[in-house]
Amino acid sequence: MKRLQRSAVILSLVEELLQRDSWCGETHIQKATYFLQELLRVPLGFDFILYKHGPFSFDLSDELMAMRADNMVQLKSRPPYGPSIIPGPNSERLKQLFPITLQKYKERVEFVAKELGSFGVADLERTATALYVTLKDTTLGDDKIEERALLINKLKPHISIENARLSLENGKEIREKAKSLVGIG
Amino acid sequence: MAKKDKHEVRDPIHVFVRLDTDERKVLDSPELQRLRNIHQLALTYLVYPGATHRRFEHSLGVMELATRVFDVITAPPIHDKIRDIIPNKDKRSYWRRVLRMAALCHDLGHLPFSHAAETELLPEGWDHERLTKEIIRSDEMKSQTWELLEVPVKIEDIVKVALGPKGSKELIFNEWETILSEIITGDTFGVDRMDYLLRDSLHAGVAYGKFDHYRLIDTLRILPKGGGEDDSDEPTLGLDYGGVQSAEALLWARYFMFSQVYCHPVRRIYDIHLKDFLQKWLENRKFSTETKDHLEMTDIEVLAALREANSDTKHPGHIHAKRIIKRGHFKLLYSRNPNDQDINPNAAVAIYEAACKEYGPDFVRSDEYRQKGGSQYFPVLCKDGRVLQSVDLSDTLLKVPVVVSDFVFIDRKLQPKALKWLEENRNKIITSKEEIEE
Repeated sequence: MKRLQRSAVILSLVEELLQRDSWCGETHIQKATYFLQELLRVPLGFDFILYKHGPFSFDLSDELMAMRADNMVQLKSRPPYGPSIIPGPNSERLKQLFPITLQKYKERVEFVAKELGSFGVADLERTATALYVTLKDTTLGDDKIEERALLINKLKPHISIENARLSLENGKEIREKAKSLVGIG
Repeated sequence: MAKKDKHEVRDPIHVFVRLDTDERKVLDSPELQRLRNIHQLALTYLVYPGATHRRFEHSLGVMELATRVFDVITAPPIHDKIRDIIPNKDKRSYWRRVLRMAALCHDLGHLPFSHAAETELLPEGWDHERLTKEIIRSDEMKSQTWELLEVPVKIEDIVKVALGPKGSKELIFNEWETILSEIITGDTFGVDRMDYLLRDSLHAGVAYGKFDHYRLIDTLRILPKGGGEDDSDEPTLGLDYGGVQSAEALLWARYFMFSQVYCHPVRRIYDIHLKDFLQKWLENRKFSTETKDHLEMTDIEVLAALREANSDTKHPGHIHAKRIIKRGHFKLLYSRNPNDQDINPNAAVAIYEAACKEYGPDFVRSDEYRQKGGSQYFPVLCKDGRVLQSVDLSDTLLKVPVVVSDFVFIDRKLQPKALKWLEENRNKIITSKEEIEE
């Protein structure tokens, strides 16, 4: 995907998240984009590693910065969680350039926003880390919730084993629902 | 007489940088000494004549600042939610050594002239971070440096802390290792950035890069991300409330240095001419990634080759060398502006492509820079004990602009004609209805 084409998809995700009353800070966008790329198979080409509050892409962080520079998004201060990212003055122009791409991924973007839009940062961190751990180690079956919960707690000690377990259960539900959308069984 | 076990180096920013004998061994290694011959700011000295400083002294500066940060953030008061991640006294002492050596080594993989065009000048999958890793792990450095230390350190710990998760994506970091790497490479408070802003500012002779780093470092804390009730408790580098203004100054200093020095158009075009020359001069158009070859390749070798190519009209890189040595760089044809951006977010690319069609690609160059890192959000510990977000406490942080530049350059002989051509055709070029969606 070309840079601006990718920016248009991210912008559509921002708009959908805001419509679902998401705080829509950088962490929200990072985790939602992780779901969009890794679970919903939208080929954005970001490289995610386990870092700030779960899966994190430095490329995506740079991309958001570039989108701010191009006035496609802007920051809005909203205490107490830090700034929200909202569409900027050039957002409409960007969307006009990529109607086919936006239509192609519309359903997947809506799905991610619907599933994650109401989450706070801590919920997102737990759920996205649970998905990361699950997708990274496919040798553990879906029933190995306990092993994965221990692993999450080891990687992120501030996430309790109980919370990790709940997030894995929740993540499993989201994965099941996503299957029909991307045609995997 | 007893052998001296404390050593000091004079430094224009930090006055004295002190080292113990093990650290001196790292400093004296050929890998570190190579950095004496790598200009920190490439050919910027052709624009700002004082900017001739090298990566060597920057590495010492990063070590000095990293130590100051470490000593501040591991001393009381420690936030209640963070207490568990700080190691005990013995382990702290080990990690302090690791941090200092990692700071010294963090730039070992830089190409001659710290060249940023790594995708064009290195084989696929390589960058200076990967080269740095390879050098730290190399047999030479292992047998001639790491194994000779009186107090051993684990090589992999040095790699992790020197490069952080961004430079070592294949490694898993625990929270403590993440914080340590953040001290060097961190997006907002990394001392790599603090030192280069202060040092580049001094040597370039501009005041923009200065900020109160003493105050800033004294107020750094490890804090949970903070914010509202449902926020993450993940630890990160933040500040005591009293340091917010020095953080504002740091982020503005960064903005000014990028817009005035690092993105100066003449500096940027010299970088492009140098890349053009290197691609003609190097075997297979790329630098070797063999550690031995890398260590033998410095600015001295490149400068000698540039001079030779300049005086040899048959040299494949002659024309590019001449543009640098004789100061015949290309001149600015177009630079990004908000009006054009509103019409076409790809205005600079459209103008570059049109100019190539009109004058031929050999006579036109383009350059694009987008800010990487420099986030304005970080947790702040308020006087009443609450942790709040920086941007909710500062009037100016959200106003720091994002650094971005797009330039199109043209052969200086063609510039007057091309400027006229652009004036006549600009609107037509940037409003072209060309389909960009695939």
